[in-house]
Amino acid sequence: MFIGRVVGSVWATVKWPDIRGLKLLTVQPYHLSDLVAEPGAEAARCHDLVVCADVLDAGVGDDVVVAYGHAARVALQEALGEQERPSTPVDAAVVAIVDRLDVDRRAVEQAGGPIP
Amino acid sequence: MIRTTVVGEVWATRKSRGLEGRKLVLVAAGGDRLVVGVDVLDARVGQTVLVSWGSGARNVLRPGPDNRGVLCDAAVSLLADGSNDPGQLEGGQ
Repeated sequence: MFIGRVVGSVWATVKWPDIRGLKLLTVQPYHLSDLVAEPGAEAARCHDLVVCADVLDAGVGDDVVVAYGHAARVALQEALGEQERPSTPVDAAVVAIVDRLDVDRRAVEQAGGPIP
Repeated sequence: MIRTTVVGEVWATRKSRGLEGRKLVLVAAGGDRLVVGVDVLDARVGQTVLVSWGSGARNVLRPGPDNRGVLCDAAVSLLADGSNDPGQLEGGQ
């Protein structure tokens, strides 16, 4: 799983049948250096965006936890009911909306520190 | 598996059913990478741990072949006490 901020959404008219009705969000993953960056500095950094399915109704600006692979499909099955959706072509899904992050600055620096 | 350092905790009230009651920790995954893992071993911030991925992570939460329904793709599987490689242990990479 990784943590990131919701920066937008994706919509489409032509999609695989099993993906119909799913809300898709774009999430910007947090990196280690973002945890200790000064407020406002994060906008200067541009990371690869991840598109993920959302059944928890997250909005732009929310911090979310995203699961990858089989765990993402398990999260969708839990939310969408008992019916099996084995062919859902989804490999990333929002599994939690973050209230608070407790980050230890010293541990971050010990673990590699911010990249200049 | 990777050896890594716990750098923080994630608190969330709105989450998938499969994550209810689970503690989520932030771990440094080498370089600038950051990963969120499920922690059932009660790791401390700053501690060096091993994180397992995929079906290995599901085996931490529920050992056995019948765990395909467990929502987990990364889990703390070991709390390191020491290593032959002190430089790396301290660096967490």
